[in-house]
Amino acid sequence: MSPQSALTRDSAEPEDIALFSAFVISATFWLLLTTAVGLLLSFKFPYPDLATNPLLSFGRLRAIHTNGTFYGWASIALTGSALYVAARTSGIPIVGKRIAWLSLIAYNVAAVLGTVTLDLGLNFGDQEYREWIWPVKVIFLAAVFLSGLTVVRTVAQRIESEVYISNWYTIGGFVFTLILSTVAILPWYQYGLGQVAVQGFFMHNAVGMWFTFLALGVTYYALPKLLNRPIYSYALGVLGFWTNLVFYPVIGAHHFEFSPLPWWFQTLAIVFSVGMLVPVWAGTANFALTIRGHGESVRRSYALPFIVVGLLYYFLGSTQGTVEAFRSLQTIWHFTNFTIGHSHATMYGFITFIAWGAIYAMLPRATGKEPSRVATGLHFWFATIGVTAYVFVLSIGGTLQGLDWAAGNPFIASVEATAPYWVARAVSGSMMFLAHVIFAYNVYLMTLAPSRASTKWERKAVNV
Amino acid sequence: MNRGMNNVWTIVISSAVVYGVLAIAMGVVPGIVLSRTPPTPGMLPLTPQQDRGRAIYVSEGCEYCHTQNVRPLKQDLVFGRPSVAGDYAYSTPELLGDHRNGPDLTNIGNRQPSDTWQYIHLWNPRSVVNASIMPRYTWFFAVKPKADAGDIVVPVPPRFAPAGGVVVATEEAKDLVAYLQSLKQVPLGKGAAKP
Repeated sequence: MSPQSALTRDSAEPEDIALFSAFVISATFWLLLTTAVGLLLSFKFPYPDLATNPLLSFGRLRAIHTNGTFYGWASIALTGSALYVAARTSGIPIVGKRIAWLSLIAYNVAAVLGTVTLDLGLNFGDQEYREWIWPVKVIFLAAVFLSGLTVVRTVAQRIESEVYISNWYTIGGFVFTLILSTVAILPWYQYGLGQVAVQGFFMHNAVGMWFTFLALGVTYYALPKLLNRPIYSYALGVLGFWTNLVFYPVIGAHHFEFSPLPWWFQTLAIVFSVGMLVPVWAGTANFALTIRGHGESVRRSYALPFIVVGLLYYFLGSTQGTVEAFRSLQTIWHFTNFTIGHSHATMYGFITFIAWGAIYAMLPRATGKEPSRVATGLHFWFATIGVTAYVFVLSIGGTLQGLDWAAGNPFIASVEATAPYWVARAVSGSMMFLAHVIFAYNVYLMTLAPSRASTKWERKAVNV
Repeated sequence: MNRGMNNVWTIVISSAVVYGVLAIAMGVVPGIVLSRTPPTPGMLPLTPQQDRGRAIYVSEGCEYCHTQNVRPLKQDLVFGRPSVAGDYAYSTPELLGDHRNGPDLTNIGNRQPSDTWQYIHLWNPRSVVNASIMPRYTWFFAVKPKADAGDIVVPVPPRFAPAGGVVVATEEAKDLVAYLQSLKQVPLGKGAAKP
């Protein structure tokens, strides 16, 4: 028997189901829009004269791609999942649903206004992941506050005695992001090199204190649920929580190695980057030991493979980040496309795959409507092969770029050396985008589509 | 009421306190302290025109491909002397950058002092560097049948020139080029701050 063939529906309230579905649908919209933008950007490398128009120019669209995937797609998908996990693990419906709906509206208003203003050339500097102007950021901050409040209120009224480890992580993510965004928005103390220090702190924490915590939180729920067995170790989960919390905030300056930031400040960031191996390896081991001996379940499930790939990229991408922070390697890799490969290994290979795994794990159980197995398989393979190729070619291209500079060749030689790898990146990016279109079709099947009688034969096909 | 770590508010408050302290120590305090870095001796603030040009540079996202951060490494010395803390005293929003799809621009005013080259290059980078992947910034120029008095006419190579007209720099192009020309490192005197 396959676990999915006898899909048991959660006893969730209809409005909780509607809320979770609405989060997933709007997240999917942002995924499609902002990765279409990413795809256009990737084709601008081999074809720089493509779409020469201020509204479609590289410098404006790049921030739309990064901010849109972060604050539109990943934030909305993982917040919706965190809300649903809070209700499931607490044994009660979501508390304060109107506030949760309001947070969804605020997320979307922020993403719309952020996209429009960036396209008009209005930004808070070209500072990665905080390009949105402050009024837009305040709306996003309100969304984080309102959804975080809903999670906390729901967990506070739980019928279970313990706070399940998932909620530690997701609540932590909301709390950290409220503090982080406030620090980033206030302008009165960041000028010149001071702003560089704040930027290093912000850009890394936006990734590691928000997406990492939410993604690990929903994994701690979805993985045991799908395997139908408890997590290997609660204590390892708690260890990961505290070490991630203490080590992560210190490592931001490794984005500005060899800059005029104080040398000891950069060294401190490198040392703590090594420290990050503790939460990463503890977390990975905890999940791996939970899965151990259940390979057959992974093979039969359509949700588990996404989580397995996500955890693999969590391990590889984060370990790569530590290695990348060493000064000897930064001399070659800093400023090159290698870092774009790294950011896709982590934000896509890890975060996005976990979001997909969580959605495929939880949404059918909520709505009682399953995705197409064929489409899910295609989604999985296009996305997995696509991102793996993406990271691989940019790692090579970026290394060649850095070696070219070190060899003292004229600058344009590094552009020419990287050019074929940019073409390969556009091809792998196309595969990834295709996967997103298939995913959108599955989201439709799991939410808005009428219940399908046709799933019967599909179930039959997998019933061994 | 659950106590200790089984109370959700304990988790909220303890993680807020720990992270709040770290955010102040690693974000706010370095921000405040380093914001007070005095300018490198001899550096001048930007003129209003250069400042408008800088705003265009920021608005168009030039930083996504061009750094302004010369590292104390052999491969960076082609761009200028290593950057020092005081070089960024007038640089808000900061423009150090993370990516070098194009060359570093810290010292571009000294390295490429010709206004005309900058105009031609902005109109179409491939007219001066064949393999360039930089976008065209044609919207900073006007194409007119005939130049008026006082117009800056851009001598675009025939292959890249529009049919039936001349390319004239707009105020935006003039501002942007004025900013690029302002990017000149001041030499470090004896006893100047080390990076």
